Amino acid sequence: MSEAKTNETVHLTIDGREVDAPKGAMILDVARGMGIDVPSLCAHPGLEPFGACRLCVVEIQKPGWDDWYKQLVTSCLYPVEEGLKVWTDSDEVRQNRSVVLDLQMARVPESDYIRELGRQYGVEKTSYAERDTKDTCIMCTICVRACEAIGRSAIATLSRGPDKYVDVPNKDACIGCLVCASLCPTDAIPFTANDNGKRRIWDKEFDLVTDERTGEVLGTPEYLAHVQKRAEGNGLVWPETLKQESAKVKRYEYARKLSRVADVEDRLADEAK
Amino acid sequence: MSKRLYVTPYRCIDCKVCEQACSLANTPVPGVPARPRVQSFKVDDQNNFVLLCLQCDEPSCQAVCPVGALERNPETGAIEVNDKCIGCGFCVRACPFGCMDYDDTHNEYIKCDVCKGDPACAKYCPTGALVWSDKPWTDQEAEEYAKKKSSDPFTIALEMTKK
Repeated sequence: MSEAKTNETVHLTIDGREVDAPKGAMILDVARGMGIDVPSLCAHPGLEPFGACRLCVVEIQKPGWDDWYKQLVTSCLYPVEEGLKVWTDSDEVRQNRSVVLDLQMARVPESDYIRELGRQYGVEKTSYAERDTKDTCIMCTICVRACEAIGRSAIATLSRGPDKYVDVPNKDACIGCLVCASLCPTDAIPFTANDNGKRRIWDKEFDLVTDERTGEVLGTPEYLAHVQKRAEGNGLVWPETLKQESAKVKRYEYARKLSRVADVEDRLADEAK
Repeated sequence: MSKRLYVTPYRCIDCKVCEQACSLANTPVPGVPARPRVQSFKVDDQNNFVLLCLQCDEPSCQAVCPVGALERNPETGAIEVNDKCIGCGFCVRACPFGCMDYDDTHNEYIKCDVCKGDPACAKYCPTGALVWSDKPWTDQEAEEYAKKKSSDPFTIALEMTKK
């Protein structure tokens, strides 16, 4: 969520290509905007940058530095600067990413996604001792930040150091929206979207509300109540039908109402002639 | 924002050409058609209707979005979904007209963005029910247009694939 506060732009060079970027934008967003592929696990354009995964490291050189001197920074947290030179795929960068992935592979040996990424950086097998676990959480906290963004803050990191883990301490705060599970880069959050009208996530079971006419699942009652509260908080009128109708039914109902109006208006216009 | 997408439901013949054109224009992966952003209905024997996003002045979808993923494009006046979307689906529940939808084949939230200023639905609509213009068409204009344009979906489909 790195937005430019002003219209000012800065001029920098990324991989030898010159670019003008809005002041305050992060290197990662600017590079991706140029079509440069910078790998990352914890970054999401809609969420606050966090710098957890360290995979988006790039090399930078500020104007005035000696030619041989460069620094490694996480591009998701580093705002663009005037005259900055950036390398996103140098040997040093690739070496650092392979170390990061080597460590991640030791942490989550069961994750296919991390293994595939590691292969791209020449890490076939971790050189560290593998953890003996099926868990694939890499502590990127994308779920924590997403849950905070939607206004529930149900998910948190608990404990400290090597024992740190992600969980839902207050089960009442979870609304079963599945956003956390769908954003998780390593699919570390187990869930059952719909099992005979029940949804399970974070060891909590939810009922499901379905559209009567199409059978489409609209969400859990807690989820719908949350959206309603959020909408009313923003001054929106919230008719009961919005909670019970799928998009398709809403469209049909609206068309049905309005086509009648059009019909009546036409007839009135004809009669007036 | 000189041009607008004018919708005249009583000219709609429910030929589904708009849906086809929309799906083709917005398909991110070739060969896997996207869910159309526009829908035409047969409401009853006499009435057809074509519905797409109304680009509200005070959009509910934008109001409930927690991450600012829905923004108005100043050039077209349309609300567009950007890459900030985290997929919470609040917008789908909030839209009173059902014009915000979820495309489960491509796993993305979709709405009409008037094709960034060149709506495919209006380009191929054979009757003038959907018109991209700076003013609404009179019935006479629409009739003249319809005479020139084929309303056979197959002919139109061929026309679409040519470009």
